Amino acid sequence: MATVRTRLPRWRRRMAQGFVVSVLAVQVGFAVNGYRDPHKFFAFQPFNESSTWRADIIRVTWDGDRVPIAEPWNGYEWNDLVGMAALRGPSRLRHAYMGVGATVDFLDDALDWVATNTPADGETRYLEATVTTYENTRGPTITVLRSVERPRP
Amino acid sequence: MNVAIAETATDAPRWETLFDRTGSVRAIAVMRIAVGLATVVHLRPFLLGEAYEEHFWEPFVSWFPHPPAAAWFAMLWVGAGAAVLMTIGLWTRTATVLTLLVVAANLLISQTHFGHNRAFLVIVLGGLALLGAGRALSVDAWLRRRRRLPPVPDEARLWPLFLLRAQVSLVYLASGISKLVDPDWFGGLVLWDRVVRYRHVLDPTPLPGWAIDVLTSRWLYYAVGPAAAATELFIGVGLWFGRTRLAAIWVAIVFHVAIDISARVEVFSYVAIAALTIWVTPSARDRVVLVGTTRSGQLVSAMVMVGDWFGRFRLQRTGTPTPVAVVDRDGSRLDGPAAVRFALSRLPAAFAFTAPLLLLAGRRRRAP
Repeated sequence: MATVRTRLPRWRRRMAQGFVVSVLAVQVGFAVNGYRDPHKFFAFQPFNESSTWRADIIRVTWDGDRVPIAEPWNGYEWNDLVGMAALRGPSRLRHAYMGVGATVDFLDDALDWVATNTPADGETRYLEATVTTYENTRGPTITVLRSVERPRP
Repeated sequence: MNVAIAETATDAPRWETLFDRTGSVRAIAVMRIAVGLATVVHLRPFLLGEAYEEHFWEPFVSWFPHPPAAAWFAMLWVGAGAAVLMTIGLWTRTATVLTLLVVAANLLISQTHFGHNRAFLVIVLGGLALLGAGRALSVDAWLRRRRRLPPVPDEARLWPLFLLRAQVSLVYLASGISKLVDPDWFGGLVLWDRVVRYRHVLDPTPLPGWAIDVLTSRWLYYAVGPAAAATELFIGVGLWFGRTRLAAIWVAIVFHVAIDISARVEVFSYVAIAALTIWVTPSARDRVVLVGTTRSGQLVSAMVMVGDWFGRFRLQRTGTPTPVAVVDRDGSRLDGPAAVRFALSRLPAAFAFTAPLLLLAGRRRRAP
C-alpha cells in the first residue's frame, strides 16, 4: 500500500522537527545524567545493582537517650511513615533495588521528613541512622545519617 | 496540497520527508486498548492507597504543585476514567491526553513515585496522545458509522510514531549500554549475586539440586552478564531493520516475560510488549490471504478473521480446494505451509509461537 504524503506547512514542520529533536535530546540527556545521578531518574538503567543495605535507626531525645525506632513512639511506625517499599524494614539486610546511592539519599531525606512530620512526638531531638551497605558484594561501608533538629517543645 | 507518492511504507524515513508521511494507525489502536487497561491497573494501588503526602514524599522541584489529598485522589479517578475511555475509544484524543497528564503528574509529584517502568508508561502514553489512535477499533469510529457520517480513514501523520520508535529504542539502548560499561554487570557479578541471594526461592522448586547448583554458580554468569547486555542492545538496534525486526520483536517478548517472572516491574512488561506494535509496518490490508475449501484453508480463514487485530490481511476465498496462499505487499507469493506460517506469524496472538518457525525456515526476511 502506498503511503500518502501530505505536505505540512513550513512552520508546522519546523515545530514538529524542533519537538522531535528536543524530546530526543532531553531523553539522551537523562540517559547520560544517569551515570552521575544516584537515582538515575529517567535514565532507564534498571536493576543496576545487587547491592544490599540495612540501618539501625534511633531517636535521640532532648535528654540524650538513644531510642531505637522499634520501641513505642507515640503511636508512630517507621514503615507507615516512610511508605515506600525501598525504605521499609530497615533493620534487616535488604536488596537496595534502586541502588545504594539512591537508597541512602532517600533515607537521608526520609529522616528529615519524619523528623518534621511527627507532631505528637515531644521528646525527640533528631533521628539518626547508622547505615551498612554492601555495593555489589563489596563492603561493608558504614554511613551515619542525621535528620534535621526538631524544635524544642 | 496533497501529493500521492508511490512510496512503500517500509521505506526508511528520511528526515526531510519524515514529517509528511501518513500511514495506518490500526496497529496503534490495538496498543491503545492494551495500554489503556494497563494504565487502570497502574493507577489502582494509588487509588486504593494513602495520599502521597501522608507518608514520606520528596518533590522533584519545589515549584511543582502539590495538591491536597482530596484533589489528588480526584485527579487519579479522572485519570482512571480517562484510561477506560481511552481503552474503549470514546473521545479518544481527549481521553488519551488526560490519561497522559494524570499519569505524568502522579509520577512527577514525588521522587518516591519514580520508577523506570512508570516513566516508560508516560512515554508510550505521550506517543498515543500524539498519534490520535482513536480512528480504528473505537467507539468513536463506531458512532460515526452509526450516524452514517463519512468514516475517518485510519491514517495519521507518522512522525509521532517514528519519535515513539526512537524513544522506545533509546530505552533498550540506555539500559543495555549501562550494563555494557559496568564491569559488575558485564562480568555477571550483579546477576549472580541476585540469584544467590534468592536461592531460598529456588530451593523449594522442583528443580534438581544440580540444576540449582549450576544456576547459582559464579562461572555461569560470566556468560549470562554479557548475554543480558547484548540482548537489550540487539533489541534496541534490531527493531530498526527489516531483516532483524522479527527476531528482535520475538526476543523482546521473551525478554519481557522473563523480567516479569523474575522481578517486580508493575505493568512494565505488559506495556513494553504492547508497545512492540509500533514496529508493525503502518499500512493495513495490504496482504492477501487466498483460502480454498480445504480443511487447512478453513482453519487459516477462521484464524485470520479472529486474530488479525492489526488488519494486515484481506481474505479471499477461492472456492476451490487450492492450498493456502499469501500475496505480500510487494506482489510476491507464498503457497502451502510457507503461506500458513507466514500468515500465522503476522497474527499477534500466534506470533510468539510461529515467528521462530518462520525465522528457522529463513524464507522471509522482511519487516512484519
